[in-house]
Amino acid sequence: MSILYDEGQQAIATESRRALEARVSKDDLLPLLQTSGKYHDGFWATAKEQGWTALALPEAYGGLALGLVELGLIAHQAGRSLSGAPFLTSSFGAAKAIALYGSDAQKARWLPGLASGETIGAVAFASGPDPLPARPAVTVSAGKADGTAVGVSGGLFADVATLFADENGSPVLAIVDLAGIERRAVDSFDNSRCLADLVLAGTPAETLVAGDAARAAALDILALQAVVTAHEQTGGAEALMEIARDYAVTRKAFGQPIGAFQSIKHRIAELYGLVELARANAIHAAAREGQDDFVIAAAAARLSATEAYDTAARDCIQIHGGIGVTWEIGLHLHMRRARTLALEQGSSFFWEDILVDRLAGEGA
Amino acid sequence: MTDIETYRAEAAAWCETMVPAFGKAARKGLSVEQDLALGRRYQKAKFDAGYAGINWPTDLGGQGLGHIEKITFEAEEMKHGFPNVYFGISLGMPVPVLMQFGSDREFVKERVAKALKGEEIWCQLFSEPSGGTDLAGLRTRAETDGNGWKINGQKVWTSWAQYSDYGVIVVRTDPTVAKHKGLTYFWVDMKASGVTVRPIKLAGGDSHVNEVFFDDVKITDDHRMSPIGGGFAVALATLMIERYVATDSAGFGPHLGLFVDLAKDVTLNGKPAIEDGRIRQQIARNHAMRAGLDSINRRARLMMQAGTTPGPEGSLNKLVAVRSRQKLSELALDLQGTDAFAFDEHASPKDDWASSWINAPTGRIAGGSDETLLNTIAERILGLPQDHRPDKGIPFNQIPA
Repeated sequence: MSILYDEGQQAIATESRRALEARVSKDDLLPLLQTSGKYHDGFWATAKEQGWTALALPEAYGGLALGLVELGLIAHQAGRSLSGAPFLTSSFGAAKAIALYGSDAQKARWLPGLASGETIGAVAFASGPDPLPARPAVTVSAGKADGTAVGVSGGLFADVATLFADENGSPVLAIVDLAGIERRAVDSFDNSRCLADLVLAGTPAETLVAGDAARAAALDILALQAVVTAHEQTGGAEALMEIARDYAVTRKAFGQPIGAFQSIKHRIAELYGLVELARANAIHAAAREGQDDFVIAAAAARLSATEAYDTAARDCIQIHGGIGVTWEIGLHLHMRRARTLALEQGSSFFWEDILVDRLAGEGA
Repeated sequence: MTDIETYRAEAAAWCETMVPAFGKAARKGLSVEQDLALGRRYQKAKFDAGYAGINWPTDLGGQGLGHIEKITFEAEEMKHGFPNVYFGISLGMPVPVLMQFGSDREFVKERVAKALKGEEIWCQLFSEPSGGTDLAGLRTRAETDGNGWKINGQKVWTSWAQYSDYGVIVVRTDPTVAKHKGLTYFWVDMKASGVTVRPIKLAGGDSHVNEVFFDDVKITDDHRMSPIGGGFAVALATLMIERYVATDSAGFGPHLGLFVDLAKDVTLNGKPAIEDGRIRQQIARNHAMRAGLDSINRRARLMMQAGTTPGPEGSLNKLVAVRSRQKLSELALDLQGTDAFAFDEHASPKDDWASSWINAPTGRIAGGSDETLLNTIAERILGLPQDHRPDKGIPFNQIPA
């Protein structure tokens, strides 16, 4: 069942929006694009101060025991303000893997730090176009991980990573302590994501799930993260729709606001449709956490959110004309972020297949 | 179970009992006239069971329940393909407007009772040959005639006018003022002298819409349902009556599951079509879109249950669902190749791809075209400016033709 936000949840939305609008501006974000290895300190400090890092983690380990619905509300606002670091989602994924599949000792070691935000987590499953490779390049053998995990969001600063690896021909979900490992920064079109290739060379690895169950567990972690990201994408798309609207009512051509031309107003009305479908799917997916149809709901949320954000980025810039493509106006921050978020946790191709396998009765 | 869940369960059970007499199998092969007669019996059965006028006042024969009960029943009813289409407009708009604006309350009470039992049908005479979207530009005129009025002109696209007993009509009573200020709202007897109804055959083969001609049709002033010159406001009220009806994310076409079944059945390049990436992408995209609409509708229901007003996003349903149904139907024909040519004009758009395809354009035009809906979203929800309107503020009879 889809949910209506209660008063507490609405307060989370209002408060997080206020906090982020006060702390994060495009003037801070633009310079981050041109340096590799920096994130927005104000964003991450706000996330820690406000307890967002603890939100969806168990109380026994310093968490607030809320869920995807609440974290989604924060992510939506982060998307509106162009979150200045990927850690809200990356740490959440790593922490969920430990919380769901880890031993008490592993939970005690990692979760309190992840909940406070002092520890940063990352999820390293993907290999190029495949977010869950049939045969992962990283191997685990006798408790040691070897190989390079590529393009890991937050990888430059992560203290702990959840790996999807190959152990003698069979998949394994494992965690590695990243202290002291070699990290190769990826100079990206969206550098505040702090992307890195993680070079594992005999790095101690602890197994969370082994065998066929590891693939299902990894998909579950990806789906949880994807729902958070879907909220973030929806927030970004919503912000762009509003920016486009505001521009269309003020900018004039041929003696009237450009928003009076149907080619412009219909474009913005179509964005409204995409944003509302994405929002509805994201809220629904968050409310389905832990249910049988969660992966289906997450895939639908992911697909519509990616479409909404990419389309909003294209169209908002188009509606602005020449000013839209300048560095200074910063709409490219959203265009870059829309693509980054479309790739993290798997592209639309991946989620389309996940969805159709299940709808056609061929999936897990 | 909550009250509404109990209500739903009872409604579902009642609908099941109606299937033998009124379901798809019972309707198969009937002429429109036979189907209408069956529909009248079904409407009477609904009335007897307390499922007619669910959210209408009890003193007018309704059940006095809420909007949520109404759409809950409709969602269950929609699953069975009962012959209720003849009463959709009648009970959806003209009769509620009559309840709200009819001055002779005894007359109103009588008409409402007969409409609820399926004995009488009302139509809505709005669109004209000169325009449908531009309602206020209508040309049918009513002139004073003794103590009453005399109507001349033509309406078009009037659903079920050929079976209607009464209609509500907007006409021009003053051409010397700005276009939307010179309109007045009346009800008319469709059997009156001077009213001629001519069915229009649509592209898909059916003829549910009509041209309606008015030649010196005389009515008394007690037919008037608005102040003189105040008809546009009542017309708008008609269109706003129920923004949230039971909606269908399939756009009143086939369910996506039928497309998945088809894709599993047929082969493409020697493999099941369900394994083809192009087909898979369409299934995934359509599912995501329909799931979004379903979630919007569920949230709207929850808001109504909580006593709050649903958000404006409910207005997306028809726009998004019908045009995607159109494309998906084309694709379903592609999948069948030459097997798709065999065409049954009487098949239902709900479970036949060709019927869904050929009738889809009607869905994108009737009840607000895609373009009109986009304008409404842009102007009413997003606050974007109106289009340039050269006829604004100009007396109707001075607008260049």
